[in-house]
Amino acid sequence: MDARNFQFMFYGFSVAWSIIALYVITIAAREGRLRKELDRVKRMVEQGEKELRK
Amino acid sequence: MLQKLTITLAALAALILVWNLHTILLVLPDEINQGAAFRIIYFHVAAVFTSFCGFFLAMGLAIAYLVKKNLQYDAMSAAVTEVSAVFATVTLITGMFWGRIIWGIWWAWDPRMISYVVCLLFCWGYLMLRKAVDDPTQRARLSAVLLIFTTLDIVIVWKSIEWWRTQHPGPVLSIRNGGGMAPGMEAPIYWNVLALILLATSMALVRMRQESMQREIDAVRRYAHAM
Amino acid sequence: MASKVEPSPALIQTAPRQVKAGFLQQAFAIAGKDLRSEWRTKESINASLSFAIVILLLFSFAFDVSSEFSKEISGGLLWLVFAFAGALILNRSFARELVNDCLDALLSSPASGAQLYLGKCMSNFVMLLIVELMCLPVFTVFYNGLWVSQAPMLLAIFVMGTWGLTAIGTMFSAMTVNLRLRELMLPVLVYPMMIPALMAAIRLTTIVMAGDAVGGDDQIWIRLLIVFDAIFTLLAVTLVETVLVG
Repeated sequence: MDARNFQFMFYGFSVAWSIIALYVITIAAREGRLRKELDRVKRMVEQGEKELRK
Repeated sequence: MLQKLTITLAALAALILVWNLHTILLVLPDEINQGAAFRIIYFHVAAVFTSFCGFFLAMGLAIAYLVKKNLQYDAMSAAVTEVSAVFATVTLITGMFWGRIIWGIWWAWDPRMISYVVCLLFCWGYLMLRKAVDDPTQRARLSAVLLIFTTLDIVIVWKSIEWWRTQHPGPVLSIRNGGGMAPGMEAPIYWNVLALILLATSMALVRMRQESMQREIDAVRRYAHAM
Repeated sequence: MASKVEPSPALIQTAPRQVKAGFLQQAFAIAGKDLRSEWRTKESINASLSFAIVILLLFSFAFDVSSEFSKEISGGLLWLVFAFAGALILNRSFARELVNDCLDALLSSPASGAQLYLGKCMSNFVMLLIVELMCLPVFTVFYNGLWVSQAPMLLAIFVMGTWGLTAIGTMFSAMTVNLRLRELMLPVLVYPMMIPALMAAIRLTTIVMAGDAVGGDDQIWIRLLIVFDAIFTLLAVTLVETVLVG
């Protein structure tokens, strides 16, 4: 394979796949954040219900 | 069940992509005029097809929301639009690299590439609108109407930019003209299309679940504050 | 017990006609209200016009005004100025009704969302057209426009292009009226949508500014403008109720 062409092809592939990888990482991070927030608000509700029963 | 489906689709996509990568990089010979660079086209075309299907699917889901008023459709259309935006970016980047190798310039004002930039601007506006609205029903309503407008407009934009470039001819540099394939080399494109669609579907399913989770958080938070 | 009164056939026959006349009447009433209010304060038109003239002046620093190049970009220059200046008018369109809950009052009135939209669209159209017609002499003097022989065609392009901008802009103004980032969201959403109308108007205006007639090949742009205006006005009239009310 022609060396320079191959180099550019490699860079092109890398950038394209990096974009997809970055998006997957963003989704995963968002998932973590959402789970934490959901647990937090559920705990808030449980606390509130406990206080109401007192 | 949805989680199992997501994992299955992603695994299948990964398998097809790895097998296809082997074919593209190690089995296919170099093209006579373009050398190694033509291999980028395999991902460029697949990404175009995936994102294009995504845009129209998102519009269909937006119309479904306006008819049925089910927020699941809104979650689906948002997820599909976001994933299509990612693949539209991949399309532009791979197109630019291909152009840089073949013609020596990063951007040749090819009508299709310009239309894709406009597509990305629409997606960007859509995602900004969703962030700017707090109420889920209002967000769903406005997003659905915006998606209908932008998808109809993109069709008109596509044709008008083609007419514009025909009347203002620049260098005759078109990915379609320059990227013609020899008959035996086309099969990997179709396999890549399948792989990227499977990958896009699994990402959209994950995003969709996150939208539902966000709605659940908002509902539980409202209940907590009401107490 | 009172006997049931049957409506006379004459009344039944006139009722549908009254409703049809009422649709446009209501829209004109809303347009008239906006134009009267604007005429008393002249806020939008003043701001828009001064902004347009400043941009025209700024563009003269960007390139050599006297060259052939300025003839090639005359249409683009003019319509970009109109698009930017128009955003000021469009932003105010529904935002002016937020004060004292006037928007809620309008939505609760017998006027439908479509009538409200058409009324606002017509008033925005008139205001933007006034700004454009006032900019035209300034542009002609600054950039040596030769459109006089093609004046009717230029007016037609202004009318069709401006309707396209205001049809889209008014709809998106309705969409963004209740958002906290209204002033930021409207330009972001509206400018990409206007691309086909702007392209057609730019192409036609460049031809006419050079004093030429719009030839066979270029008539496609007139058709594009008409189709664009028709499609998006119809779509907006159909969907504006969903956007404003739900």
